[in-house]
Amino acid sequence: MIFVTIILIIVALYLLAGLVFAIPFMIKGVTVIDEGAHGSSWGFRIIIIPGVMVFWPFLLNKWLYASKMKRS
Amino acid sequence: MSASYAAVGWNKQKKIYDWLIACLCFIYLLLFISVTLIINEQATFETLLIRSTSTLAVLLLHIILAIGPLCRLNKKFLPLLYNRRHLGVTMFTFALVHGSFSLFQFHALSNTNPIISLFTSNTNFGSLAAFPFQVLGLFALIIFFLMAITSHDFWLHNLSPKVWKTLHMFVYLAYILVVMHVMLGVIQYENDPVFVIMIFAGAITLVILHLLAGSKERKLDNMKFALQREGFVYVCPVAEIEDSRAKIFYIDKERIAVYRHNNKLYAIHNVCKHQGGPLGEGKILDGCITCPWHGYQYLPHNGQSPPPFKEKVSTYDVKIIDGKVWLNPAPFAEGTERPGAEIK
Ligand code: FES
Repeated sequence: MIFVTIILIIVALYLLAGLVFAIPFMIKGVTVIDEGAHGSSWGFRIIIIPGVMVFWPFLLNKWLYASKMKRS
Repeated sequence: MSASYAAVGWNKQKKIYDWLIACLCFIYLLLFISVTLIINEQATFETLLIRSTSTLAVLLLHIILAIGPLCRLNKKFLPLLYNRRHLGVTMFTFALVHGSFSLFQFHALSNTNPIISLFTSNTNFGSLAAFPFQVLGLFALIIFFLMAITSHDFWLHNLSPKVWKTLHMFVYLAYILVVMHVMLGVIQYENDPVFVIMIFAGAITLVILHLLAGSKERKLDNMKFALQREGFVYVCPVAEIEDSRAKIFYIDKERIAVYRHNNKLYAIHNVCKHQGGPLGEGKILDGCITCPWHGYQYLPHNGQSPPPFKEKVSTYDVKIIDGKVWLNPAPFAEGTERPGAEIK
C-alpha cells in the first residue's frame, strides 16, 4: 500500500511539474524547438499539453539546446 | 508536413472518415445497449456503459490492428489507413470511459483512493481464477494514453520517427494485455463464453493477417536481380510500370520505387519521411508522388516535397535499354535532382 502510494505521489508531482513547464513552453519554447510551430494555432498548442506534461524533461533539454545553438 | 501545425489536420477525406467513425460507434452502442436490454432487463446504467464502451474499444482495436496488414495485402484498404490515428484516439476515448467508470463502480466507494484500491484490493497474482485483471487493463490504458497524446505530427517530428514508431509499436503489448484483461475478467464475472470466443476469433484473425502480409513482403524482398551492368541492375520491362504508378524493388537492403510520370521513369527511396509509408504504393497526384498513408508529397525528379514543405528523400539513377528498366541502387543525397529515363 505504502509503495503504491509513494509511486502515485511521484507520478502526480512529475505531471504537475510538466503542467507548470507547459505554460512557458506553449508561449515560447515550442517555437524555439520546432519551426513548424511558428504561426500555429492555440488549438494546436493546447492539444499537445498532455504530451508536454509527460515528455517535459526531454522537451526542456531540447529547448535549452536549441537556445544555446542560437546564441552561438 | 512541416508548414504551420494545426490542432487537427482535417480535410474533406478526413472529415468523411471521422463521420464514418462517429456513425459506426453510435450504431454499435445503440445495438449493444438494445440487445443487452432485451436479454437482461435488469441491466443497470453503469453495467451498460462499462460493457458497451469496453466491447467497442476492443472492436476498434481489432480494426486498427487489421488495417496495416490488410493494406499490405490489398491496396483497396488504403483509405482506411489514411486517418487511422483518429480511429486510435477514438478507441482510447472509449477505453478511458470504460476504465473511469469501472474505477468508479468498483473502487470509489471505500475510503481508500480508487487507484490505490485498484492495486491493493486484489493481490491474487498467483491465481488464474482470481487474477487482478483490472491492473492489466490499466497498463493497456496507459499505453493507449501515451499513443493518443503523441498522435500529433509535432510529436513524430520532435521525438524522431524512430522513437515515435517504437513507442507506437507498444500497441501490440497493449493488445496482449487487453486480451488477458478480457479473458481473466470474463472468467470471474461471466458464465457465457461468447466474449471469450469473440476475442479468440479476433486474435486468430489478426495473427493470420499479419502472417499473410509478412510472407507477401518477404517474397518481394527475396526477389533476385541477377543481371548487372556498370552498377545498374535489370529490374523489369518498362511495360510493367503503369502510368502515374510505381513498382518497388528491394536491392542491396534498400527499397526503391520506380515511378512512371509524363512518359519518363524516376526512382526514389520508397520510405516516406512522415511515418515510413511505402511511397511506391502511392500514385502521382498533381505531378507529385503522393504517399498512400497520409498524403505527404514528393516531386518525382528530385524527391523533394513541394514548397513550403521541406521533406526530402533519396533519388536514384534509372535508365531504359531496349524496353528494359535498369536501376542503379546507389542513392544520391536526399533531394538531389535526377534526369529520369525517357520512355521512347
Ligand atoms: S507515412 Fe504518413 S504520409 Fe507517408
